[in-house]
Amino acid sequence: MTRNEFMTRLRRGLAGLPAVTIADIVADHEAHFAEAAADGRTEAEAAAALGDPDRLARELRADAGLRRWEETKNPSAAGAAIVALIGLGAIDIMFLLPLLMGVLATLFGFLVAVVALFVSGGLVFAMGPLAAPPGGPMTAFLAGVGLMAGATFLGALLTLATVGLVNVVVWYGRLHFRLLKPAIDNQG
Amino acid sequence: MSEAIEIQLKKGVLALCVLALLSRADSYAYEIASQLAKDIDMGEGTIYPLMRRMQSDGLVETYLVESQSGPPRKYYRLTPVGRASFTQQKTEWAAFTKAVDDILGAAA
Repeated sequence: MTRNEFMTRLRRGLAGLPAVTIADIVADHEAHFAEAAADGRTEAEAAAALGDPDRLARELRADAGLRRWEETKNPSAAGAAIVALIGLGAIDIMFLLPLLMGVLATLFGFLVAVVALFVSGGLVFAMGPLAAPPGGPMTAFLAGVGLMAGATFLGALLTLATVGLVNVVVWYGRLHFRLLKPAIDNQG
Repeated sequence: MSEAIEIQLKKGVLALCVLALLSRADSYAYEIASQLAKDIDMGEGTIYPLMRRMQSDGLVETYLVESQSGPPRKYYRLTPVGRASFTQQKTEWAAFTKAVDDILGAAA
């Protein structure tokens, strides 16, 4: 493989990372080829010693994804971390996906229930004065506020559970990746 | 099988080896990579993800040094955190290898 081929494949593999990060990684590898040339090695030798650029790019991407999740715990970072791990083949999909899907579906179900509870609380709150409920408008008013507060509380618990879940997945992915990497290297 | 064990062991100690090299003298990635490739037969490409990780973990920091052959070189040096981490890991490593040696010796 020539230096150009290597750099093209590395760049392609890194697409999607922040431009600064890509420039940094590219500069590191360009410098490596320059040092190797000064050392009297051919481009092919240097490229072979570096290894498969696609795999290097996957590893660098996965690492960037995990780091982003650790820094900013928001949904898009969680998505990126999981996608990066799957791209790496770190999560054993056959084993983990059904389990993960079940947990995600359960979380989603809870989310729907919490939203429904909040909305019905709002309805009771708003309808109180109009519908003449048993116990008078004040009861409906308080019940509505109570339902909405309960929904907010459950929503907060749900968020905590989701953050915990993604943390566990990331932890598992890291562990798995560490164990798996030698096997990947052996194949290559 | 024995090859798999060897690779696992190397992966595990790579970061420790980099800390050790940098504790002796600041260095740049190509030099670290070729040193480790020669001494413990590591793939040179492994060094770049590792250096990025160590840098964002605050174990190493970089500075530029002019070089006669081409553009400035990015040198790595240990931070105080990196130095402390090296001391601790070295102790752990020594205790671990001693324990394994004892077991192997007892089995012989």
